[in-house]
Amino acid sequence: RYVRQLQRLQLLFSPTAADARGARQFVEEAAQDFARQHPDVVLYVSPRSGPGPAPVLRAEYLNGTVREELIASKTSEEIVQLATKLANQSGLDIIRIRKPFHTDNPSVQGQWHPLTNKPSILTIQGPRLQPQ
Amino acid sequence: PAMAARLLLRAARPLLAGAGRGTGLGTALSTAPPPEKKRWLRAYLELQRLQAPPQRRSEQPNWDYHAEIQAFRHRVQENFSLDLLKTAFVNSCYIESEEARRRQLGLDKDAVALQLQDNTALAERGLRFARAYLAQCFEGAYPELPAKGIEALVNFLTSQELVSYVAQNLSIQDLTLCRDFPAPPDVLQRTFLAVIGALLESSGPERTGIFVRDFFIPQLIGKDLFEIWEVVNPMGLLVEELTKRNISAPEPRITRQLGVSTVLPVYFVGLYCDKKILAEGPGETLLAAEEEAARVALRKLYGYTENRRPWDYSKPKQGLAAEKAISSN
Repeated sequence: RYVRQLQRLQLLFSPTAADARGARQFVEEAAQDFARQHPDVVLYVSPRSGPGPAPVLRAEYLNGTVREELIASKTSEEIVQLATKLANQSGLDIIRIRKPFHTDNPSVQGQWHPLTNKPSILTIQGPRLQPQ
Repeated sequence: PAMAARLLLRAARPLLAGAGRGTGLGTALSTAPPPEKKRWLRAYLELQRLQAPPQRRSEQPNWDYHAEIQAFRHRVQENFSLDLLKTAFVNSCYIESEEARRRQLGLDKDAVALQLQDNTALAERGLRFARAYLAQCFEGAYPELPAKGIEALVNFLTSQELVSYVAQNLSIQDLTLCRDFPAPPDVLQRTFLAVIGALLESSGPERTGIFVRDFFIPQLIGKDLFEIWEVVNPMGLLVEELTKRNISAPEPRITRQLGVSTVLPVYFVGLYCDKKILAEGPGETLLAAEEEAARVALRKLYGYTENRRPWDYSKPKQGLAAEKAISSN
């Protein structure tokens, strides 16, 4: 069954800073809807007062990765899109994938090895006798 | 006027900061200490932060136990009764450590005894149910497999490493209450089995069976039978199986050989019964090749080859419900 890999989202923003306006609007309007649509993600809203660092959305996944995304000067809809994007990701590192293909069944009839189509010692080769 | 404006500004800022601090104290203290301005102090504090020992997630900021348990319930898409689930996460070592701590703080005997129950009973029930269910699954799917093979498979699936791996990836290590951090694998195994037991009590054996199937059986993907089941003498086992089916004893013959006089020879030994081929296996020496051929023959007989049909996850098995109810009670 499908298990959403996102464990919790922490929204850290300042209640007075200018670049956290989108975050504040998100908390007022869209955070409850988001939490209702994703009941398996715990959403923590923690305003931090004073001139602190930029507002950030921290996502923690089931395999332990913690990903922080800046939400400074983003509108409420953009933050919703970002949150849904994080909710649909898994916690694997975002690095370059070496090959764009992968298969769990590399060979259907058996992988070729140098002896595949060679007749074995036990075959009797003669003018009339067929090899096994 | 410029001087006056600057003075006004300087007066206004502490007021704002004071107001901010006032409102900030009302909310949970989730902020880090304010960033230092001295460059040398910043470096030292960063070093201290990196060298601090890892803490439980429940001791870090932003943690709500009830919300986390509800999220766990939705993540796994199962209805639990929350009390059973909360008891499932309580371990005996946690209760002992809490009581010891309370005794050290000098509370009365009544206050020392916690109102919490252990998860040992739930864990036992979960383990019994999981073993019985998995054994039945395998008996249904691989009818030829002997009892020892099924036992080996079930032991592998309920072993500590596998269960603790599954539990870690379901964030059970954050939710358990236990004395040590990080939680040792046997604690995680016991907690996960207790969760299964709680689900059994809340939703009944059918849903729990589907849960066990969904989380344990995918761990067998890509695993070979004889990686899990240690067989010392495959040739003897093969002879037994063939006598059970009234087929004559296998006769090993060399089918192919390569590089006999080199350091790395390859021999393909085929096992023939009544001059018909049963299985063929490669190996470095003749004995190794014969053993490998016996293993390949056993895999074919038990139906556990690599090209067997994948596990059927579609329909829930109806017949198991009554048997489970009888066996778990």
